[in-house]
Amino acid sequence: MKHQIHLAALLAALACAPATAATDYRAGEASTLGFRATYMDDRFEGRFADFTPVIRFDPTDLENSRFDVRIALASASTANQERDELLVGPEFFNAGALPVARYQASKFTALGGGRFRADGALTLNGVSKPVALEFDWTPGTPAVLEGRASLKRLAFKVGEGEWADTDLLPNEVEVFTRLELQPEA
Amino acid sequence: MPIRNTTERWGWVSIGIHWLTLLMVLSLVLVGFVMQEMANSPTKIEVYAMHKSFGLTLLGLTVLRLLWRLVAGTPAALPGMPRWQHLAAQASHGALYAILLAMPLSGWLYNSASGFPLKWFGLLSLPKLSGYDADVKAFALAMHEWLFIALAVVVSVHAAAALKHHYFDRDATLARMLPGLPPPDGAARNDKEAP
Repeated sequence: MKHQIHLAALLAALACAPATAATDYRAGEASTLGFRATYMDDRFEGRFADFTPVIRFDPTDLENSRFDVRIALASASTANQERDELLVGPEFFNAGALPVARYQASKFTALGGGRFRADGALTLNGVSKPVALEFDWTPGTPAVLEGRASLKRLAFKVGEGEWADTDLLPNEVEVFTRLELQPEA
Repeated sequence: MPIRNTTERWGWVSIGIHWLTLLMVLSLVLVGFVMQEMANSPTKIEVYAMHKSFGLTLLGLTVLRLLWRLVAGTPAALPGMPRWQHLAAQASHGALYAILLAMPLSGWLYNSASGFPLKWFGLLSLPKLSGYDADVKAFALAMHEWLFIALAVVVSVHAAAALKHHYFDRDATLARMLPGLPPPDGAARNDKEAP
């Protein structure tokens, strides 16, 4: 009897569901967002402690999938106090003037084998440029999104003036993320 | 001048390292003060990198110097020098060697605990003495600063003593570490090679 009630409830829920099947997710505490760059031939890693991803995604409904991630730039840490102060300062992230970077994507392509590409735009330092994020999607509870993107720091005016020297600080920056996503209630 | 030290005088290796060390210490101190006042820029980092590389060089040089001292020996105390003076001289030399080793090591520790890489003249990567750690960093910086003060004090005493021996006691203490400086008239040179 109980099973029948549940089945009925499920059918009712499905009937009432909106046309878009894509699920809204919130990222759990264990989620990470960071970057890797090279300085004087030394590879270093940075993390953002404070970022808010709003993810709507369904592998079978890419049309209605959306990413919108806000990143508090001042929360960047590279395990080096002097570097971190410089990083959030005017020559790099300029977090005092523009504290939030934003990544928005609404165009998704399936690459096969659980891999996808988001063709979105990153807004940082007042510059908005296309950035492609490739990611693996593992369904479940939580659903796991593991992605990486490559971008050019100078395109976003990160490290200008004397810091523009790419022998010292190469232009390429790798961004990586791992989101543990809980469906929104 | 002999290569090795004799009982009467310092050989050229010890004399060379002694004055090279003085030159390097003075440069390191001068650059060490100036670099802190610089605004953040790649130039500042370049200057820091040179300070670190020269400091590490001095560390290596001091290790070699101590090994050489073991091999080549040291000249004996000048005849007629009071025993307490000889002991005081040995104590201050010991302190100087200890500071010459501890100063670069504390800088190396400070660099490691701050999370910076360390490359000797951009050529040779050196291991980290500590992970990124605010407490270790503060300790190492305090050590670097206190060792500088200790160095300034002991070097002043060392130099003042050398000048006192030369101008007041009129002995060969300074002359045997400084080729070209004639020993004071009538100094007990204690040099068997002299005619």
